[in-house]
Amino acid sequence: MRARTVIGRTVLVIVAAAVSLLFLLPVLWLLASTFRTASETFASSSPLSWDVLWPREFTLVNLESAVNTGFMSALSNSLVVAAVTVVLGLAVSAAAAFALAVIPFRGRGAVFSIVVLSFLVPFEAIAIPLSRTFSDWSLTNTLIALILPGLGNGLAVFTLRQFFLGIPHSLSEAAHLDGAGWFRVFWSVYLPLTRPALIGAGLILFLFQWQAYLWPILVTSRQELDLAPVAIAKAFGAFTTDYGRVFAETAILAIIPAIVLLALQRYFVTSVASTGNKE
Amino acid sequence: MTIASATRRRPARRQRDAVAAIAFLAPTVLLILVLRVIPAISAVGDSMRSGLPGSLVPPTFVGGEIFARLFAKESFWESVRQTLIFNVLVNPIQILLALALAVLLTRNLPARGLWRTLIFLPAAVPLAGSTIVWGIALRPDGPVNGVLTLFGLPAQPWFTSPNQVVVAMIVLASWIGIGYWMMFLIAGLNDIPPVYFEAARIDGAGPLRTFFSVTLPMLRRPLLFVLVADTVANFVLFAPVQILTSGGPEKQSNFLMYDIFHKSYQLSDPYEASAELVVLLVIMIAIVAVQFRLLRTPEGEE
Repeated sequence: MRARTVIGRTVLVIVAAAVSLLFLLPVLWLLASTFRTASETFASSSPLSWDVLWPREFTLVNLESAVNTGFMSALSNSLVVAAVTVVLGLAVSAAAAFALAVIPFRGRGAVFSIVVLSFLVPFEAIAIPLSRTFSDWSLTNTLIALILPGLGNGLAVFTLRQFFLGIPHSLSEAAHLDGAGWFRVFWSVYLPLTRPALIGAGLILFLFQWQAYLWPILVTSRQELDLAPVAIAKAFGAFTTDYGRVFAETAILAIIPAIVLLALQRYFVTSVASTGNKE
Repeated sequence: MTIASATRRRPARRQRDAVAAIAFLAPTVLLILVLRVIPAISAVGDSMRSGLPGSLVPPTFVGGEIFARLFAKESFWESVRQTLIFNVLVNPIQILLALALAVLLTRNLPARGLWRTLIFLPAAVPLAGSTIVWGIALRPDGPVNGVLTLFGLPAQPWFTSPNQVVVAMIVLASWIGIGYWMMFLIAGLNDIPPVYFEAARIDGAGPLRTFFSVTLPMLRRPLLFVLVADTVANFVLFAPVQILTSGGPEKQSNFLMYDIFHKSYQLSDPYEASAELVVLLVIMIAIVAVQFRLLRTPEGEE
């Protein structure tokens, strides 16, 4: 019996390690290819050789090429858009979540359903008609156009509302007796207690913007407003021979959310934990 | 409970609560109106009008004519068919594997945090980036074919073959999706009170019995959320198609989302694109509505 458990556990660990390796391989290949020439990348994969995951001749030429061709300005556009989205998006979502969780008013359930339902339809589905509306409003080629769609996020509202529901009502009652209004209750009682959920919701908002691809190509046409994913896709289409530069840019694009997620993974898991519960 | 106590409060306080609620909700409601309702209405409006792009003559109302034209097109149904084939395959694959890994990695295994992180890592790579990595990895002289030839198998054309392009899209989407949705399911599994597993163990239930009688029923809500969120996300998959295949080869990856984009911009047919978008929106709303219904069906567990 005991020996069987040990064997069973060993098998499970081997399965877990093998699957993890399978998911990790493309990342390792991307990193290796960032630090070697494109011709070495293909020479090592066809036919396959042992150094497919390790650069034989280490070089920074790809990273230099990415920096020199203006990728950094696309990257800083992405950072600005994501940062503004996280700050404003958290303010908007937290306020809505607070009203939906704490303030008693008639029709709260209905408003909650509308908010979540409307945001559950993926943004991409209405991006094309919305881009025409934005061009009617002369918002094309502005940072506002890039930021605005990231601000309303149903998952962020939902996550924060779930967290607010878990805060005892006696706290807001006590604050009211002290003469505090709803804004004071929100700002001084609820928000300070909500840090983990705010980090989780902030991650959701950040990832939405960092991933954005369809919307930026719909509302921007000027190169200086290109976001990083758009710049990479353009480089991929235009320089089909300079794969090295494309690898380097993709690695830079991926490393930022990877670090953020690895550091804040705990909050991501706790914040998504609420998605399955209704109340 | 809060609503009931509110109605007993003095009217002045109730009014103050209502004003506060409106103020707190105003930005979100405004964003819903601008970002969701107005574009949906304008898509429906455009789908029932017709005019020449760039012409000074305003478009005229033509009712269901554009829908009739769209539904008569072989290419539209081909796009619907390919979108459905892709989704019928990719969603069960992703969710079953995500569930299997979530169950595996909530067991008491050594270094399970590391395994979780490694499987989740691809979700951090933005879709445009992972599209390019897989686009190059699946090239004829790429490492995937290198592995195949190492095992004596013939190199495959992947994205350049009409028979394999959907498979290649599934690989690409699943590399990102499985780890991402696994995290949601792990969170759901952690929420199941351990006493249930303890009880199943005392009753002598084996691992399979425990999974089907305890884990699966207790995981219903997170599982349904993942099912629907994954499905709607895959229905609007766009970047890989636009970057790698432009809907080809032989239109086999011409999924609805890309077809709408293509009609709208490259073919300058915004009216037919709008009609097709309305079809996609109806599908999306139906999926979301089904989720809400399913989530609201109580089965005596609350």
